[in-house]
Amino acid sequence: MRVLIELVVSFLSTVGFGLVTNVPRRSLLPAGITGSLAWVAYYLVLQVDNGLILPNFTAAIVIGILGNISAVMFRVPVNIIYVPSLVSLVPGGIMYLGMRSFTLGNEIRTGRYMFNALTIAIALAVGFVVAEVLFYKMKPFLIHSLQRRKNN
Amino acid sequence: MDQSISEDELISVCGKVGKILLTSGAETSRVEGTVEYIGRAAHYEITCHATITALFVGVKNQTKTHLVKVRLGDFNLEKVDEINTMSRKFVNGQIDFNELKKTINQIDKKVIDFTWPQKIFGAALVSVAPMLLFKATWADLGLAFFVGIFGYLAAALSSPRIKTPYVAAGLGGFTVGFLAAVLQSLGIATSAGNIIVSALMPLVPGVAITNSFREIIDRNTISGVVRAVDAIIIAGSIGAGVVLGASLSAMIFNLIGGRL
Repeated sequence: MRVLIELVVSFLSTVGFGLVTNVPRRSLLPAGITGSLAWVAYYLVLQVDNGLILPNFTAAIVIGILGNISAVMFRVPVNIIYVPSLVSLVPGGIMYLGMRSFTLGNEIRTGRYMFNALTIAIALAVGFVVAEVLFYKMKPFLIHSLQRRKNN
Repeated sequence: MDQSISEDELISVCGKVGKILLTSGAETSRVEGTVEYIGRAAHYEITCHATITALFVGVKNQTKTHLVKVRLGDFNLEKVDEINTMSRKFVNGQIDFNELKKTINQIDKKVIDFTWPQKIFGAALVSVAPMLLFKATWADLGLAFFVGIFGYLAAALSSPRIKTPYVAAGLGGFTVGFLAAVLQSLGIATSAGNIIVSALMPLVPGVAITNSFREIIDRNTISGVVRAVDAIIIAGSIGAGVVLGASLSAMIFNLIGGRL
């Protein structure tokens, strides 16, 4: 039940950010699905490993692979899927908290929040790199199966 | 076909393509790739070097280089997609060079956008952050939905009017901080902090910082660092805005409380 709520809210979040950043209409649905599945992956891994790196890394791999697949299927640049689906994972809120502590002159909390933001951003970026390496191994099969479906 | 395209024209169109892509939020590697792709389809060896602030386009073994200055822009992913579709059509030979030039000029001028109500609704949806589900109360998340609308509107409406950079983001933060603190002081909201974090989701540069690290890993170090510093300063101005807004609300409530 909780997973279902998380799925719906993250789907809405992704579609909403898609509207804000002006993605083409045909990519709203695939971006929404990618974003919500990535968030569920993050949520499930978080139950097992209560850290920062592994959940974000897993979610980035999910976004990377699904995003590349939908980019091929819907003929859009990958970034158009990446940007909206990232919105619920990225360390924006933590960066804000860090800079707020900075404004208030609390150096220890500033350091901690900014360090967390850095960790999350790097985990996500590395996840994308790994996902792209995996995807280029899968790409020939995907294109093959797409062509076969078109021929049928 | 290659006889009809002059070198100068090709370079200027390529420069325009690169500029639109960069200001609409594409990655530098994609910008370089697309421009060189178009050049190859026109039978010229185009070299393109893009950083986030400038774009160089030239033909290999020639002295001429076209320099385009670029300013950091907001995301407009639909433009990225349209340019991508056009360049793909051109490479496949579905449209000729004149048509490409015409459409690129159109895309440059056209304001491609969702309507305001759609964007506001989008911002409101983003303002309910999945990160805070089951941590904040449902009432707080519902309030964040509306506070987020005002924050987004403040930032989006002021950014074309105020030329000084980073002020618009600060205004967005100010609005969110002020409204959340007022709601808490009135006893409607349980935790102003949760509302603020949730309602700031459409404004904070989280996607920008992640993209900047993707660029750094892609060895586009300059663009990555520029984007990262920009993101940190945006976050800083939002943070300062929130602090100002919250203390303004505290001041107002102190004054009213003193008089009662």
